[in-house]
Amino acid sequence: MTVVPQSGGGAVATGSGTGNLYDIVELILDRGLVIDAFVRVSLVGIEILKVDARVVVASVDTYLRFAEACNRLDLEAGRKKPAQLTDIVGEVTEGGARGKAKGALTGAVQAFTDSLQEGRNAEEVPMERPRRATRRREDRED
Amino acid sequence: MSVYVYAITSATHPLRLDGLKGVGDPPGELRTVCTESLCAVISDAPEELRAKRRDVAAHQDVQQRLLGEGTALPMRFGLVGPDDDAVRATLEEHAEHYTQRLGELAGRVEFNLKAAQAEEAALRDVLEQSDEVRRLNEITRAGGTHDDRLALGEMVAQQVEANQQALAGEIVEVLRPIAQAQVISPSLQDAFLNASFLVDKDRAQDFSEVGRKLAERYGEDFEFRLRGPLPPYSFV
Repeated sequence: MTVVPQSGGGAVATGSGTGNLYDIVELILDRGLVIDAFVRVSLVGIEILKVDARVVVASVDTYLRFAEACNRLDLEAGRKKPAQLTDIVGEVTEGGARGKAKGALTGAVQAFTDSLQEGRNAEEVPMERPRRATRRREDRED
Repeated sequence: MSVYVYAITSATHPLRLDGLKGVGDPPGELRTVCTESLCAVISDAPEELRAKRRDVAAHQDVQQRLLGEGTALPMRFGLVGPDDDAVRATLEEHAEHYTQRLGELAGRVEFNLKAAQAEEAALRDVLEQSDEVRRLNEITRAGGTHDDRLALGEMVAQQVEANQQALAGEIVEVLRPIAQAQVISPSLQDAFLNASFLVDKDRAQDFSEVGRKLAERYGEDFEFRLRGPLPPYSFV
């Protein structure tokens, strides 16, 4: 539903409405209760791009691609090391870092209001991939 | 007429379905079939249901509404029974089981977290970790043989996988104490972690907050996609 950029950090997207079904479509299609005696409609011809399980392919092509990607890396370029995982749960519970995360917190509360109280998100929004930091182009084999 | 089944609830659920549309085109009218203790939310099944985005969204919308007002067992998308009587018979037959599940899921919601790492960052980690990878990288940059490149790629692929599994474990361990249960799924094409957590509603905000903190800590090389509160699809 919303993508909240964190200052100097990663992005976390939250929400549960149909605004963005991409990340939950596998739950809707593959989980949930079934009644054995009933039938399930065929999902053949499904227009939704179903997320594929990532297969770590031990293939020559994959290895060569990885090697090439490594060769291309600019090793001199600086990078930020992620901060250590200190006691995040403790911090939250104790409210020690609330001020710092205030902007993000607001977004979260909004999401709860939407889904728990109103329980509907009627707007028709294309089920597209959210913005992402990663795009893998690994070769896949089924 | 065959019927599409959305969810099963206790007979005490308010079942406010106004304004919601069922699956199909035109959308099916939602209605309920109840026994003494349980209700099922259903609609007439469309002649041909092809799981269009609209249909999946309709299914999900019903779940979110039911979740917002009580406890429900969400059905998997696409479940069709012969008629109302068959649904009623199922509710009778499995009453004990459904009631027990509803009790266990009362006041709880699902969160799904997917985490991804930028590939470049994953490769940098591996280069920093391994002398052998750095050596092979230098060799293959300057030329090297096909076998050198294969050896480098294989080593890197395995190490990236190992690192991401460790990261996934680390992340789950941070969230586990706030959750009642979790289902860790195989990694996806675009996410090394794909996990669902069952969380008490009154801890949902904490959970979401910890998710945000995690995203913040891991930094811009990572992407955390946290979805919730969701119907407990993974825990029925």
